[in-house]
Amino acid sequence: MATIPEAQRPKILILATLSGGYAGADSVGQLHTDYPTNTYILPVICPCMFPEEFYLRTFEQGIDGILVMYSGTDSPYRGGPERAAKLINQTYPLMKARGLDTRRLKLTAICTVCTKPFLKEVQQMEALLEGIGYAKAEIAAYAGKENMAN
Amino acid sequence: MPENNELRIGVYTCYCGGNISDVVDCERVAKTLIEFPNVVVSRTDMSMCSDAGQSMIEADIREKGINRVVIGACAPSLHEQTFRGTVTRAGLNPYLYHHVGLREQDSWVHHCDCEGATCKAMRLMLAGVAKARHLDPLEPIRLAAEKHALVIGGGVAGLRSALDIARRGLNVTLIEKSPFLGGRMAQLETLFPTGEDARTGLHGLIQKVIQHPKITLFTQAQLVKMAGYVGDYQVTIEQQSRGVHVEIAEAALTANLPEVPDEFNYGLTRRKIIYRAYPGCYPSTPAVDWKNYNGEPLVINGQPTVLYNEPKTFDLTVGAIVVATGFKPYEPRQGEYGYGEIPEVVTLPQLIRHLALLGDGKPLTWNDHPVRDVALIHCVGSREIEGVHPPHEDGEVNNYCSRVCCTATLHMANELHERFPHLNLYDLYEDIRTYGHGHEQYYRDALENTTRFLRFHGDDRPEVVAAEPGDTHPVLVRINDHLTWGEAMEVPVDLVVLAVGFMPRDVSDLIKLLKISAGTDRFLLERHPKLQPVETAVPGVVLAGTAQGPMTVQESCAAASAAAAKVSSLLGQGQVELEPFVAKVDLEKCDGTGTCMEVCQYEDAIHLETVLIAGQEVRRAVVTPANCSGCGGCVSACPNRAIDVQGWTLTQYEAMIDAFALEPAELVEVMA
Repeated sequence: MATIPEAQRPKILILATLSGGYAGADSVGQLHTDYPTNTYILPVICPCMFPEEFYLRTFEQGIDGILVMYSGTDSPYRGGPERAAKLINQTYPLMKARGLDTRRLKLTAICTVCTKPFLKEVQQMEALLEGIGYAKAEIAAYAGKENMAN
Repeated sequence: MPENNELRIGVYTCYCGGNISDVVDCERVAKTLIEFPNVVVSRTDMSMCSDAGQSMIEADIREKGINRVVIGACAPSLHEQTFRGTVTRAGLNPYLYHHVGLREQDSWVHHCDCEGATCKAMRLMLAGVAKARHLDPLEPIRLAAEKHALVIGGGVAGLRSALDIARRGLNVTLIEKSPFLGGRMAQLETLFPTGEDARTGLHGLIQKVIQHPKITLFTQAQLVKMAGYVGDYQVTIEQQSRGVHVEIAEAALTANLPEVPDEFNYGLTRRKIIYRAYPGCYPSTPAVDWKNYNGEPLVINGQPTVLYNEPKTFDLTVGAIVVATGFKPYEPRQGEYGYGEIPEVVTLPQLIRHLALLGDGKPLTWNDHPVRDVALIHCVGSREIEGVHPPHEDGEVNNYCSRVCCTATLHMANELHERFPHLNLYDLYEDIRTYGHGHEQYYRDALENTTRFLRFHGDDRPEVVAAEPGDTHPVLVRINDHLTWGEAMEVPVDLVVLAVGFMPRDVSDLIKLLKISAGTDRFLLERHPKLQPVETAVPGVVLAGTAQGPMTVQESCAAASAAAAKVSSLLGQGQVELEPFVAKVDLEKCDGTGTCMEVCQYEDAIHLETVLIAGQEVRRAVVTPANCSGCGGCVSACPNRAIDVQGWTLTQYEAMIDAFALEPAELVEVMA
């Protein structure tokens, strides 16, 4: 079977709206600016489509940090930004209940030309994950403690 | 050829002429991908978008029975449509193809880490394959379209849009809320950078509009109701009475009637309540100012006459709507730079009207006093800073740049110098933003004209005070001039001109009716400032001109023509084709709770219907694709995962995330 000989580092998923963060990521590319390779960007129409369980599953599968880069108040979708923010807020207590550091999930407004804020968000998440490590390990450690307590 | 709906995926990794392959080892990516389930071919090419590259993909689809295509290349925004065409030509549904951005989001941002970039490319392509396994053929949403557009607003943008649409063979109904056409452009005198006479240009455009057989025009008319969707909007228009019959028009204008401040001259003059906006306006029949008419009889032609406003409504079916509702100039607050308290403080639009009323060859005066020294202050009502400037009535500050006023102010400085060469001109600015082609010349001309420039900071704006009695000038302007390192200066002047910015008009009723959005600056919001600059999130509703933000007349016309082009391409075929990325309900999973309807912000996008399932009548959610924006709010709300956005399903996202996160062997297991 094929292998992918990548360096073992925490992985960052970026959910980027087509009208904001995704085009922003393309702008960063056009500047040929460097950021780490452990970042995986997926285009989304509006993050209001993702329920709380979606984020939890993503961490459980082995993604260590999620940046949701949306268009904020400039979103063309009525009620979309507010709903996305609400869903993410509702995810935080569920993360805590699994022992996950809530800083692993962040909603941030990035526009089509926000190249510096894009890089800053990636760098900050990178630095955070260097410190707190893998999500799966965090979940396992918490589950272990819970078992011990029981 | 595939049997039993076998998935046969073709994977194509583009070198992009070295843009990708200089960093990413494309051959290794291709070799890795071929090992995954259902990947039948995995190829590379120097340029996948070339004829040769596209022919290779087409041949694979025809000869190897490829029924899902994954292409890793430049950004999807550049070539997604190209490759949709490629797969379509080979007989495959265009939505059975997925595009992976390997250039802007991999090779161009990881050039110092070729190995890391190659591994990332493998992951990105794997995610493409994972998604492709869940792709379904989709059809664009096709709707019959009425070849008729409604243009809201009879200013230069609305007129330009209407004419451009009509010239492409579509019917146009143009409605204008006020009694006369022309909007703000009618109040201007000369335009920059052409120096052309504003009303001459405007009247030429109006003549073309009124003579065009495909344009129907209604003044004093506004949209009051709208239903339907792109291609088939049912709209109701309400039109006020003109109030004056053409036979008594001239007599009405000369009658002794109550007067009100004339908005055309920004309150510098007064007009009667039966009026023409300005000489030569269209329509030429005077109109009654219903807002200021109290219903009492007016003596016209010696006869007491009571005027009646009997609004009439009518319905239309239109395929698209152009919103060209314009802007309003910023009205400074009472006391802001002395405005409203010191008579010698005026706005730039007021000065333009004052010079027009003054006529040629006369010396410049204000309130019958000669004017020798003039201060022009930039950025009034623009670039305001929260916490420094008090908020407006709606609680916001105007933190945006109005863009046009720098050149407009310098244009005025040069005009003043030309007409009154002995004037001393002081230009007080925060920044000079003469961004347009040829606009910088106005700054250079002003420098040569010995206009004196003084610079202030946004949080340290000039102060305008009334001079002490007996002073040589009526007004004193105090400024900390940052061109001389903050030196405090006092400039005595006869006239202060405030270069006021653009404000959005209050179109909250229209926003509600059309279901469009306003941005944080309160101007109407386009779908994307660069990629879809005139479209709104509502299909078939487009923006034209300064309703969208500050623009010059030239820019307004360009935006209006862009809006017209959009409408024409949308309705020209008599059929509207939309992307199929809208919500779709799985009737088997739906239990009819209506949670999706509760969160949906779009009217008539989802409703509950009684359907027959296994012989039983049950309530199920049904989507009206034309009214769905595809935002996916309903997806996160459904407790049964019974609703998804076609082409962007949760299952597809989960598959892609698995491809990023899992070890290849685990992934193969998941795929199996």
